[in-house]
Amino acid sequence: MNLFVQQVVTGLSIGGIYALLAVGYALIYSIFKFTNFAFGAILMCAAYGAYFVTHTLKMTSLVSGLLGAVVIGVIVSLATELLAYRSLRRLKASRLFLMISAMGVNIFVQNLMTIMMSANLRSLDIKMPFNVIRFGKIRIGSLDIFSLVISLIVLGVLWIFIEKTKHGIAIRASAHDTDTAGLMGINVNKISFIVFAISGLTAAISGTFMGMKYAVYPTLGAISSKAFISSVIGGLGSLPGAVLGGFILGVLETMISGYISSSFRDLFSFSVMIAVLVFLPNGILGSGINDKL
Amino acid sequence: MYLQSLAIFACVNMIAVAGLVLLTGYTGIFSIGHAGFMAVGAYAAVISFKYLAVPFLPAIIAGGFVAVLISVIIGYPALRSMMAGDAFAIVMLGFVSVVRISITNIKPVFNASFGISDIPRLSTMSVVLAFTILSVWFMRNFLKSHYGKNCIAIQQQETAAEMVGINVLKTKLIALMISAFYAGVAGGLFSFFATYLAPTNFSEAKSDDLLAAVVLGGINTLSGPLLAAAILVVLPEFLRFLAIWRLVFYGAAFVVIMQFKPEGLMGYREISFKWVGRLYGKVRGKARD
Repeated sequence: MNLFVQQVVTGLSIGGIYALLAVGYALIYSIFKFTNFAFGAILMCAAYGAYFVTHTLKMTSLVSGLLGAVVIGVIVSLATELLAYRSLRRLKASRLFLMISAMGVNIFVQNLMTIMMSANLRSLDIKMPFNVIRFGKIRIGSLDIFSLVISLIVLGVLWIFIEKTKHGIAIRASAHDTDTAGLMGINVNKISFIVFAISGLTAAISGTFMGMKYAVYPTLGAISSKAFISSVIGGLGSLPGAVLGGFILGVLETMISGYISSSFRDLFSFSVMIAVLVFLPNGILGSGINDKL
Repeated sequence: MYLQSLAIFACVNMIAVAGLVLLTGYTGIFSIGHAGFMAVGAYAAVISFKYLAVPFLPAIIAGGFVAVLISVIIGYPALRSMMAGDAFAIVMLGFVSVVRISITNIKPVFNASFGISDIPRLSTMSVVLAFTILSVWFMRNFLKSHYGKNCIAIQQQETAAEMVGINVLKTKLIALMISAFYAGVAGGLFSFFATYLAPTNFSEAKSDDLLAAVVLGGINTLSGPLLAAAILVVLPEFLRFLAIWRLVFYGAAFVVIMQFKPEGLMGYREISFKWVGRLYGKVRGKARD
């Protein structure tokens, strides 16, 4: 029973990270209708940002690590938007070209980092205020608690931002129909800046926690495929779906690695995605609206 | 021998790229895990050859059919979804790593990460060349056929294609199946030449290689990507000192090509040899004067 509770808490903390990532991905998907494969590269660069701040500048608190990651993540995310996507969107290029461009950014950044930083694993040594919390016999690591709490706070702030503020309404309008939103006087380019910045921020926070959980290395971005999978499970383009999918995937994966085998974890999450696509082609919370002419 | 092995690698690459041309170049479905199908085909061919005593050529074909089977299992649910393009891309992204994980963790028959060695070298130049010519010839005819035109229609305007009565899902599935078959055959031929088979042979980098050939070669063309596939095998041999920069270059090339010439270097055009005939006619005309 204790093991089970511990597994659930670890699963929730990983789920929080996945949910955050999936929201960052789904936000871009919902507005621009393409999969931003460069997401993994942004996450990895942000984790290197955190490594730089904590290792080179010797500021080893969690806040400074997160700040360094967020700065790098937002910069890289905006740079990809400006250099790789914006002109393609202006030409109304097909989604295939946008996806190829995104994949190009991912391959480019990942391999450039492998050459420049070498493929070594680097550990993020960020000092935590405490190590373990005990509730009776149950022990929970501080990293799990912090990542869960911070992901929930960021998700909450994002929710308020999107539901309550003027920019949030503009984002939702653009997600509904980008062209009409543009006609209604919404500056779509400004919205795209905000959205890519938010996406970079979520990638940075989850990248830092992933770097603390495992290590920082050039292929860390492969974790972004979990965000894509969570998003497909929850329903592509749906933000609540992305959060739900992230938590489901996180808890299920931890259970699998805890009770069956950790080497088959990825196989399992892949099978879950296929199963969801078989039984719910549009994901759990995906809308069934068809494209209209 | 060195030149021959280079030529065989180029041919194997061309078979796989010919399949990917149909899926990405013509039907417009983005596949980033095509090396997964190569791995499936390669393992199926080698295992049926070594353990089930199937002769060489049927084993290669069997590998192709196993790849087709897998492609339907993972492709059908994804293509049926409303956001088919993205869902399929995400499924393929997971697929290539799942194939590697499954093979690395299954000890009996697959021999885990050690791979299978002592495969007889049965893919000789003549066999591979025959396969390449046959598959390219078939693909050319397919693309010129009514089915190929359906694929182009779906790539250009999916809704309009559906309105004129094309069964979108069926056409996409046919494209996926043929493309998986090509990749499976290419994987089988490759492993019967390399004489060993390990999960790392078919990594993400291999998928990037195939995709690079299609993106550089261009969409809606068969000869462009085939030429690019051959060049991308031969060129790195001369630029060995730049080997680590190869993937960086691919990534940058993807972005730059999409910015300035999204249809690729040879988009919508085929290399034709009609100019040879015209030149010949001109020369003869001059000779007659």
